[in-house]
Amino acid sequence: MFKKISLLSLISVALFIGCSDDSTTSQTVWEQKSQMLTNWADNFIIPNYQNLSNKLSELETSVAAFNATPNTETLEATRVSWLEAYKSWQHVEMFNIGPAEQTYYHLKMNVYPASTENIDALIVSGNFSNLDNAPYYSAQGFPAMDYLLYGVAEDDTSLVNLYNSNSNYSNYLTEIMDRMVSNTNYVKSEWSSYRAGFIASVENTATSSANKMTNDFIYYYEKGFRANKFGIPVGIFSGGNIFPEKVEAYHNENVSKLLALEAMDAIKSFFNGNGNPSLKQFLDNFASEEMPNLSSDINAQLDLGKSSIEALDSNFVNQLNNDFLGMAVTYDNIQAGTVLLKTDMLSVLQIATDYVDADGD
Amino acid sequence: MILKIDNYLKRSTASSKLAVFRICFGLMMLYSMLRFWSKGWIDSVYVAPKFHFKYYGFEWVESLGSYTYLLFIVCILCAVLITIGLWYRLSILVFFLSFTYIELLEKTTYLNHYYFISILSFLLVFLPANKCFSIDIFFRKKQYNEIPQWTVDAIKLLMIIVYFYAGLAKINSDWLLKALPLKIWMPSKYDIPLIGETLLQQEWVHYAMSWGGMLYDLSIPFLLCYKRTRFFGFAMVVFFHVFTAVLFPIGMFPYIMIVSALIFFEGETHNKIVALLKKIIQPLRSLVDISSIENMHQFNYKRPKWRLWILGVFFAIQMVVPFRYVLYPSELFWAEEGYRFSWRVMLVEKIGYTNFKVVNKTSGRSFYVRNGHFLTDLQIKQMSFQPDMILEYAHYLGDHFKSQGHKNIGIYAESYVSLNGRSNQQFIDPEIDLLMQKESFKHKHWIKPFKDEIKGF
Repeated sequence: MFKKISLLSLISVALFIGCSDDSTTSQTVWEQKSQMLTNWADNFIIPNYQNLSNKLSELETSVAAFNATPNTETLEATRVSWLEAYKSWQHVEMFNIGPAEQTYYHLKMNVYPASTENIDALIVSGNFSNLDNAPYYSAQGFPAMDYLLYGVAEDDTSLVNLYNSNSNYSNYLTEIMDRMVSNTNYVKSEWSSYRAGFIASVENTATSSANKMTNDFIYYYEKGFRANKFGIPVGIFSGGNIFPEKVEAYHNENVSKLLALEAMDAIKSFFNGNGNPSLKQFLDNFASEEMPNLSSDINAQLDLGKSSIEALDSNFVNQLNNDFLGMAVTYDNIQAGTVLLKTDMLSVLQIATDYVDADGD
Repeated sequence: MILKIDNYLKRSTASSKLAVFRICFGLMMLYSMLRFWSKGWIDSVYVAPKFHFKYYGFEWVESLGSYTYLLFIVCILCAVLITIGLWYRLSILVFFLSFTYIELLEKTTYLNHYYFISILSFLLVFLPANKCFSIDIFFRKKQYNEIPQWTVDAIKLLMIIVYFYAGLAKINSDWLLKALPLKIWMPSKYDIPLIGETLLQQEWVHYAMSWGGMLYDLSIPFLLCYKRTRFFGFAMVVFFHVFTAVLFPIGMFPYIMIVSALIFFEGETHNKIVALLKKIIQPLRSLVDISSIENMHQFNYKRPKWRLWILGVFFAIQMVVPFRYVLYPSELFWAEEGYRFSWRVMLVEKIGYTNFKVVNKTSGRSFYVRNGHFLTDLQIKQMSFQPDMILEYAHYLGDHFKSQGHKNIGIYAESYVSLNGRSNQQFIDPEIDLLMQKESFKHKHWIKPFKDEIKGF
């Protein structure tokens, strides 16, 4: 009898403590994660693809006008819409998930430097079917258009002349324009059916969308943002041999910084969620006693990265040629953000960081 | 005293104990190997990587490429032979050698479980596990009802060491006073049905689990040893290991420990199990003539002395090795000097981010290495917070770049590690050229000191 009573009281104590909610939020983790995913899908991924799609159709109109009557005015109009679309691309590049990942969409949109050799060869041949193949991914997308709108001739007049004299140039421009539009619209339209599964995939597995998206975000920050935009051109991986020709939008030259700042805004806004649940809120809810201010530390580091980008020459080619150490400092500031994301943040989030499948201890 | 020891060594117990243990061990190993294979891990761990991390002193262990599959086949074959008790002494010896060789091939997959299997199979080489219910007795025409008590106690002692040392290791300030790392891990288990969103989110549960885990590990050897508490102890073993199997990706280990704990039961239990197994395979047994097998009472080694010496030395090493960390000035969980082979399981949550800079010391120019070019994701993850691996990899990089024609280079690590939810801290002194450092048992002075303190074992 005594045993029964003590067992009963033990259970009731356990239940009592179990029911008293001492966590800062009354929401379950499941609910929080699902709100985060909903926010990502509805306020970031889908609208950002929509925005890109809008910008691309404006660009398509400009390209059509330019191809119909190539002159410096239509060229200038095309360049303006190209830049607008390229800026909106910066808000999409981190979402290499689902339909985008399946169709290698990102590789078809923004692998730089563009392969000018392949582009020239395709234009000469007039047959563009090779663009379906992986080695030709760097002959399409924004970098290819950068080359076509800025790099194929010495100055604007001769560039316009080129388009007037050789219809293959216009055909090629149309071809990659069509591909960018159709590839983007495919991903965008797939999201309307992909969304439900994306939001529902909340569990903590390496393949759940909550984990994959976080991994993709970190991967983008480290690779697409840190390495591609800064590390590789400034020679971090190549013994200090700088590669000005590997900056984003190399043929334009003057907008690399603009695009990088746009990307940084995209990163910050995704991390913070624009007032809705995202990684920041999650880190705050699960802050460890040892790092109560992790989310503000990360924001401070991102701000430092941003201000250090702002201090650079808007022309990265000039920056590299005149003061590549300045860009190396920027790289270091961005790199410090990688450290925070890949150690402290992952430690709090406790998600599978990779697709390593192995037993633990 | 000597008389006491002498008397102890003469005591005997049911031979079915080791027979049941042998069969369980064989089947578990068979399943573990097939599972490892079916998950494609032979390829991803042993065949695919360009570079393999080796244990200090075992750098000579040659990677076998796709012949690793053959090694696994040998291991699997041995597991079958062990289970049925055919050529037992040879098959357990070959199993020990091949399994250990596999483990020595790649350090990043080190698990205390694998080490346990390795030393357990070593121990089994010296024990008479084929004297009952084996094919060997059919060939030798003799079976024994009893075997020396010490041969069974040896296995018990190894299990006691594993549990007890694992318990001791949990007596530290992070585990008991901060409930770390369970406090970090449990909330991320929200997708486990029923308890995930409720209990596992509660801080008191993390503390209860930490203290419970420590008390469990320390007390389970005693609960299993005494007859009165044995059933309760075994129920705890089942509950605890099934619970950990649900919570953590720890593969076969929980099941291996559950069946191994059967060794603590009385001979009657094992006799019943053997009788049951005999019934199951009756159709097979009826095919052979077993009437010619002579039933002997007690098996004794003719010269048990050298066996006892080997076991004595073996257990002395097992008891001392986990304490070798006291010889190092560094924080154990941080620098991991003397961390392995010590039954320290589940104690740390560590995430590292380590990049390597190759510096031409003549020109001062440098470049960073992309780890993904040389290592697999698993290797990168493990290497990033373990100093011996960082050093080994740095030397590999040094050899690689020198062979590419780079001269007078140094390799420097930029390494950041977060331990048990603390903010990341620089891990390796970035001013130290790792190529100038050699692996040894000495303290690695180029590991930056841990800025916090963790008290305890």
